[in-house]
Amino acid sequence: MTALEVSGVSKVFNKGRRDEVSALHDVDLVVQSGQFVSLIGPSGCGKSTLLRLIADLIQPTSGTVTVAGKPARRARLDQEYGIAFQQAGLFDWRTVRRNVELPLELRGVNRAERKARAEEMLVLVGLEEFAGHYPAQLSGGMQQRVAIARALAVHPPLLLMDEPFGALDEMTRERLQAELLQICAKTGTSTVFVTHSIPEAVFLSDRVVVMSARPGRITDVVEVDLRERTEATRQSPGFFTAITKVRRALRGTKAAESTEPGGPAEPGVSAEVLADS
Amino acid sequence: MRWLRAVAPPLVVGIAMLGLWELVVRVGRIAPFILPAPSAIGEQLWLDRDVVLEAGLASGANAFVGLLLGAALAILAALVASRLPLLADVSVPVAALANALPIIALAPILNNMFDSTSSIPRRIVVAIVAFFPVFVNTLRGLREVHPIHQELMDSYAASGWTFARLVRLPGALPFVFTGLRQASSLAVIAAVVSEYFGGLQDGLGSRITSAAAFTAYPRAWAYVVGACVLGLIFYLATLVAERFAMPWRSRLAS
Repeated sequence: MTALEVSGVSKVFNKGRRDEVSALHDVDLVVQSGQFVSLIGPSGCGKSTLLRLIADLIQPTSGTVTVAGKPARRARLDQEYGIAFQQAGLFDWRTVRRNVELPLELRGVNRAERKARAEEMLVLVGLEEFAGHYPAQLSGGMQQRVAIARALAVHPPLLLMDEPFGALDEMTRERLQAELLQICAKTGTSTVFVTHSIPEAVFLSDRVVVMSARPGRITDVVEVDLRERTEATRQSPGFFTAITKVRRALRGTKAAESTEPGGPAEPGVSAEVLADS
Repeated sequence: MRWLRAVAPPLVVGIAMLGLWELVVRVGRIAPFILPAPSAIGEQLWLDRDVVLEAGLASGANAFVGLLLGAALAILAALVASRLPLLADVSVPVAALANALPIIALAPILNNMFDSTSSIPRRIVVAIVAFFPVFVNTLRGLREVHPIHQELMDSYAASGWTFARLVRLPGALPFVFTGLRQASSLAVIAAVVSEYFGGLQDGLGSRITSAAAFTAYPRAWAYVVGACVLGLIFYLATLVAERFAMPWRSRLAS
């Protein structure tokens, strides 16, 4: 089953005006149920725009977005997805538990069930002891975990994340990546994850969608086949191979016209890319 | 111990100031109608304590009712204005202009509209005075919404009023209380001063004018002290209410 289908989507901001910007051009993307897909690319490649189009926070200029078999707008009204951003965006005046309860509250779920569901989610992200705390009493990583719990509270089939670990330190980041994978596996949630970290994209994803800018478009899709991810995965040869592939794909977005893909220049390119990092 | 360290310095300075005042009046032989000594004022305060208390309660009730009324109207008006951008753009300069007018000057006009035994005119003056700081601050708070909160509530397909109730209003609380703190002091001033212009004469304002008219300056000053205490009580009560209304702020330090 497909969790998400984007077909022929273009987005032009300020259409017909002098400052017209073509943010996305003719994007197609299909995410199967339970899949983890990352969007990666340089700034301005429209990866966040694509995520917001899927979330129906902005509307495409042309093309269609289908989430869980419904048009994007219907899917948003039915809360078919949960969303998390770079900043946790918690509500300071609500305790951790009441923050997680918010989407349920807006769905009209009764108090007892809200509480039970929020506590279940907090167990999932390992913050059950902090249910009564206020967000400002938590560290950045903990706040981000609360935001993930909140995004998952309605048990959505799709999770959308816009650089959720971008503001965290490396150690917290890696721990949360592993936790996120466990949660997604446990709940069977499909995920679209925007990032600009290559290792992060490779570690998390079944597929890495590589995008380029002006106009934003998908230039390549790298399949990552690492099976079960553990901390050891980060040192495995497969991990580095996939990183190189993604990096080459990102590099290829500029050199695509001049270099033949798969040509004799390949070893040279990868050496150059590795030296570059 | 921390409490003592916070309270001691202003207390010491205050007592020193009073001592200096006493000294200047005694040594300088300043006439009591220019500046009575603190000891004389204190003595009067003690002698007239029942009347000061009674008048203070009357003025306090006026200030309190007016403040509640004005603040409630201000918050409602700000909520409406925040939902209608055009209204908000118009209302801020209008509020600023109206705020610049001496609202207390309305007191004689209002006094003529009601019975001479009515407390309503003074309460209306207080309500109008309290309205503006609360309105302007609340509106500013309501319009300051974190972009992520906006997107999040959009993703939940929350309606405009749900958004206002769950996000805008609690987010604006710190601003509301900034407004209320200003309004609480202004409310006491307005309640006392509006009595200078006639109407029912049962509050601190009328006592101050009548004592001064009888050249009983220490007594006039005693009522002024009563008004000061009343203003302080209002201000502190607002601070306490703020702590109760926003527990997530006071829990930060712990």
